[in-house]
Amino acid sequence: MRLDLNTHMLEQLNLHFISAASGRLLGGLLVTLELSAIVMVVSTFAGFAVAILVMSPFRLLRLPVRAYIEVFRCTPALVQIVWFFYCVPVLFNVFWEPFTMAVMALSLNLTAYNAEAYRAAIQSIPKLHSDASVALGLNRWHFNRYVVFPQALRLALPVLVTNTIGMIQQSALVALVAVEDLMYVTKSIASSTYRPVEIYTVAALIYFAIAFTLSRVVALIERRNRQLMERA
Amino acid sequence: MIYSFDFSILIKYLPALLRGLMITLEVSAVSILAGIVLGFLLAIARQFGGPWLATPAMAIVEFVRGVPVLIQIFWVFFCLPAIIGMDIGSTLSAALALTLFMGAISSESFRAAFATIDKDQYDATVALGMPMRVTMLYVILPQALIRATPTLLSNAITVFKESAIVSAVGMADIMFVGRNISSASGHPIEILTVVAAAYFIVAWPMTLLVGNLERRRLERMSAA
Repeated sequence: MRLDLNTHMLEQLNLHFISAASGRLLGGLLVTLELSAIVMVVSTFAGFAVAILVMSPFRLLRLPVRAYIEVFRCTPALVQIVWFFYCVPVLFNVFWEPFTMAVMALSLNLTAYNAEAYRAAIQSIPKLHSDASVALGLNRWHFNRYVVFPQALRLALPVLVTNTIGMIQQSALVALVAVEDLMYVTKSIASSTYRPVEIYTVAALIYFAIAFTLSRVVALIERRNRQLMERA
Repeated sequence: MIYSFDFSILIKYLPALLRGLMITLEVSAVSILAGIVLGFLLAIARQFGGPWLATPAMAIVEFVRGVPVLIQIFWVFFCLPAIIGMDIGSTLSAALALTLFMGAISSESFRAAFATIDKDQYDATVALGMPMRVTMLYVILPQALIRATPTLLSNAITVFKESAIVSAVGMADIMFVGRNISSASGHPIEILTVVAAAYFIVAWPMTLLVGNLERRRLERMSAA
């Protein structure tokens, strides 16, 4: 690919056409946001359940769940998404919409990461709390329900949001399997208008705005956590 | 639809997949090493550079961490040539984007490591009359490198996994080869599972190593 007209092209950075494309970009953004929102909600709950399972005293329960977490954390999200798209329909003889497949693949990915966040938070609760609960006559369930989980959730929250930021960025990968998200729309506008510079830059800024906003939320939660710790 | 498994095709395509894996490992290794250097420089610029260096360094780090790497690769591949007026090819743009990514996430690791280096040491280097360059290279870097090792390793795993997206700009890594073979042969399950297994075989032992290093450090810290 030779680009001889480049300097010429740059002299007239055409931001005008961005406004013409804004309708399609918005449509793509909405798909990205919808996808991310569903995955976030599913994985926040499923991650907790998986974390409980992976700490189970029963080896038969623990090992397969551990294997699931390790496999999804140690392979690229792109491989997982492509595997899902090519293999699940053939293996199970089902044909879902690309959007549904993307939700499932990304949810499985994020759930594995979130489960580790919950597990680390739960295990970081000091042993002394367990002794204190025994002294207070709390049973196992009340100990978990009123002592461990509330503290663990607070500790896990910043990591969960950070994981979610990561997932939103990984969600751009679904464009490669024809889900019409922000990345997909950007790619198709770039190739139909021959104006990659403007459109990719605008898309990058949109993704950045989402990630930046959420990362401020993380900073806020972490500051609050620190304050609560100091007060304690 | 009835899918007939045929694992014998794996033997046929194994050499091609292995070549793809080599390319994946090469582009990851180059980006990881260059990214560590870049990350150290960015961290120094942010920590000691004064506002004129710190602000742009911070902007780069925040931006690279906040934008999907896929967009960055496309940006380098499609837009950079238009700006510099020169074609740079898929290999270089992939390595460039991954290096930038590794640099940005590693600068955070180095910054965290700098914070653990005692303030007195800086005073000592000033008292000894060491020039900035000597302080950085012989006092700060070795300690920062050791303390940042677990996080740098886990960044390296992240970059290795992230490298799968270089297939999107047409670089013949294992993901690219795997996708091509699975559509050409009509056996996606066998081929893509092997591709996933290849990533897992490389990444899992490294993850265990990081976990071990971190546990050992926690034990040492609680012992001290």
